Amino acid sequence: MPRGLWTTTVGSFPKPPHLERARNQFARGEISAERLNELEREATIEVIRSQEEIGLDILVDGELYRGDMTTFFAERMDGFQISNPVRSYGNRYYRKPVATGPVRRTDPWTVDWWKFAQSQTSKPVKGMLTGPYTMMDWSFNEHYPSREALAMDLAEAIREEAIALVEAGAKFVQVDEPAISVRPEELKLAVRALGRAVEGVKAKTITHICYGDFDVIYPALLDLPVDMIDLEMANSRYDLLDRFRQHRFTKEIGYGVLDVHSHRIETKEEVKQGILRGLEILKPEQMYIDPDCGLKTRTVEEAKEKLAVMVAAVREVRKERGITA
Amino acid sequence: MKIETTLSGSFPKLPLEPGAPNVRVVRNRMDQGKATDRDLVEATRETTRRIIALQESAGVDIPVDGQVAWDDEQTYFARGVQGFEIAGLIRYLDSNTYYRQPEIAGPLSWTRPVTVEDFRTAQGMAHRPLKAVLPGPYSLYRFSKDRHYRSPEEAARAIGEVLAREAKALEEAGAAWIHFEEPWLGRAGASDASLVRAALEPLFRGRKAKTVLHVPFRAPAAVFDAVRDLTWSVLGLDLVEAPDAWSLISKVPERRTVALGLIDARNTRLEDPSDVAKAVGRARTMRSDLAWQLCPTASLEYLPVDRAAMKVSRLTEAARLASGNGG
Repeated sequence: MPRGLWTTTVGSFPKPPHLERARNQFARGEISAERLNELEREATIEVIRSQEEIGLDILVDGELYRGDMTTFFAERMDGFQISNPVRSYGNRYYRKPVATGPVRRTDPWTVDWWKFAQSQTSKPVKGMLTGPYTMMDWSFNEHYPSREALAMDLAEAIREEAIALVEAGAKFVQVDEPAISVRPEELKLAVRALGRAVEGVKAKTITHICYGDFDVIYPALLDLPVDMIDLEMANSRYDLLDRFRQHRFTKEIGYGVLDVHSHRIETKEEVKQGILRGLEILKPEQMYIDPDCGLKTRTVEEAKEKLAVMVAAVREVRKERGITA
Repeated sequence: MKIETTLSGSFPKLPLEPGAPNVRVVRNRMDQGKATDRDLVEATRETTRRIIALQESAGVDIPVDGQVAWDDEQTYFARGVQGFEIAGLIRYLDSNTYYRQPEIAGPLSWTRPVTVEDFRTAQGMAHRPLKAVLPGPYSLYRFSKDRHYRSPEEAARAIGEVLAREAKALEEAGAAWIHFEEPWLGRAGASDASLVRAALEPLFRGRKAKTVLHVPFRAPAAVFDAVRDLTWSVLGLDLVEAPDAWSLISKVPERRTVALGLIDARNTRLEDPSDVAKAVGRARTMRSDLAWQLCPTASLEYLPVDRAAMKVSRLTEAARLASGNGG
């Protein structure tokens, strides 16, 4: 009987409103770091419980203790300062890392959080990092002579963290590279930097990238030196499958079936159809079913409902096709 | 010869001083029901006043209003044009910023001025002529999704025509300068030449104001022949991210102006004004018949406000040095 169609998520979960309030209170100096940490741990336990109840196979810690996906890491490194807010759209702002010296990892960034999350469940919890190319592309660079030099130093630092996660027991390490798809001319640099970041990492390695100009970067994307590439499939109405027909997708795939930008809860049938379309050209043992991207922009309830639909759809497909987890 | 200075597009909206009017805070308070539309109008006006004053005090010759009410570089204009609908958020080119995608759902029709009232208000706060800023038609076409027209050329031309109408309305309101931001020109291939012409041709016909065609991030080399003979007044080039744009200076028609984008709008690293002045000198040695402006490579809103303000100071200092050097 074939195995496959394991279920997981891309990384972030929505922060519950009380935690958002607490983060704001902490920023204003109204509560202590210890109190915020306590609330983050409670919320992380809740996210683990929730994933278990929904029936996911591979869990995440939900990243409830993180803000921006680059700034979180930069704040914990030598060589970075954090800028004043920069606008991303409308009234949304974020603080960008500024490389002002050689960037170095001096202490673990996520290992304690991973250990804490893993201690709450018998299911595997993924280690979640941001990749060197994305960290470079989303930072200001006041120190390095080139984008490449910054990316490669970041790769060294991220590799140290990835190895530390594996030493702590992580079986899956995901190194996200959402920026890869927007500068196709730098794909070779991204491949080299990510390659260094996961070199010698004895775990299943994954990278998540967001939808970009696939006409240009596919099939070269398959050169990314990881076991699994996680892609937004639903958001592009599964049209990537046409490209996979022209050039076989040779790696494992994180197969996104939930639109994380929409409040609408998908129906079980549409998720099922998306998976069945994938099975026309992909093997079940290649496929890990998940949302298109992190769920942090949804409400807690929306995230739960979407994931419950996803798991129900996977179970039906498994049953109909005789696939086991 | 004096090197004039100007900015390209929007400017960070947050205040440098704590407690100053802050559109971000007001919008957050509106979301909580604690502020009104009138509060937002007031904060927008005061932020515009501050952005203009910052440029004037630094000595910028042709200031902009900072596009304080704009959520991104397209939507504000597209929302005001009949035929456009506004869809979901997508990433803006290779930046970590976003825009809402305009969709062409029906025939495009200019029915009213979209930016003129803002221009009048801002001009009333300024002591020198402001430069009005609009999206470029080719880029607006490429940023949009066309669900209506039969061909890309037809859609691009329709966008060019509505922008030309807006430009005319701005002229009638007194605008002496109109800037079109065209990031997609640097991404166009040679096969896009006819599309580029279709978008841009309507724009410059009969213009009284001086017009700026600004191309950030990449050099518009592949389609330069298609835009060369159009009657724009100023060509803005990004000479930091796209050093190959230097080679286009030799191809600019006689007696036009080139705006040299030598202040990096996408990196916080501060330029040495004397290095920038030297680069201006290099341009001057290439062509003695052209006039020159100095500007950032793109909108300064990619930077935090403190760095953006410092970049404006470096810009004007570099222009002073270059003007002195040039005699």
